[in-house]
Amino acid sequence: MAARTERNAVERPDTETAPSRWKPRGRIAAAIGVFGELLITAGLVLGLFVAYSLWWTNVLADREAGKQGDEVRQQWESSAPGARDIKGGAGFLHVPAMKNGEVLVTEGTDTERLNAGVAGYYTEPVKAALPWDKQGNFSLAAHRDGHGAKFHNIDKLKDGDSIVFETKDTWYVYKVYATLPETSKYNVKVLDPVPKESGKSEPGRYITLTTCTPVLTSKYRYVVWGELERTEKVDEKRTPPAELR
Amino acid sequence: MYGWIWRHLPGNAWVRAFISFVLILAAVYVLFQYVFPWAEPLLPFGDVTVDGQNGSNGS
Repeated sequence: MAARTERNAVERPDTETAPSRWKPRGRIAAAIGVFGELLITAGLVLGLFVAYSLWWTNVLADREAGKQGDEVRQQWESSAPGARDIKGGAGFLHVPAMKNGEVLVTEGTDTERLNAGVAGYYTEPVKAALPWDKQGNFSLAAHRDGHGAKFHNIDKLKDGDSIVFETKDTWYVYKVYATLPETSKYNVKVLDPVPKESGKSEPGRYITLTTCTPVLTSKYRYVVWGELERTEKVDEKRTPPAELR
Repeated sequence: MYGWIWRHLPGNAWVRAFISFVLILAAVYVLFQYVFPWAEPLLPFGDVTVDGQNGSNGS
């Protein structure tokens, strides 16, 4: 508003100085100037891409995961006791050592699913067992950076740390017993029902977390194995087990 | 390039600055909404799963 009243006063010197500054420059100088500006622009765009990858995708993914998580919790409240419907999500993963609250777990590990800020359980190449199955491997994947970065702190997990999986009626408490800080992405054996690489040879109820490593790249995979220690029935107030208190 | 844009914007310096700001916002919006989501899957930063489908070790 104030700018408009000043307009006539400012415009005259502006139109006079601009061409006089421009004309003496030769075509080559102008071309170099444009090239430099393009380089600066490219740098800014790359910087924005970093911000997009590490910040904005997290904002979007957390929003989406929060929405989906709310739907799952609402569905739990409204459905009959004992009924199990895992279409919207199998449950929530709580890993105190990762300090990131609860992570919704849904079916499938394709990029589109994981970009919603959830952890996915594998359907291929090795189909995951679910926690309530009598034996098998509950294998999960989630992003290390961006898109919620739900497994960002996977390297903070040490042997003996707890991984708690919450379903409508049960808390499944797992204990970490082995980690593999770097392996090839082709190493699908880590997902086996009995993951031999973790040192186990007997069937049991295992959990496997996979994500990429080192941070910000997808060169290798980071794997953490846990074994079911006990289960607890969810009470009316959904009191969390001792590990989460 | 930017000088050329600046000289072709209407109004005085304040109006031009305002229009420039809007143009920058529009560019950032287009990048975040369309360009980056398109580019991201083409870059190898977000593959987190183990799958042997295109490897020799696959099952």
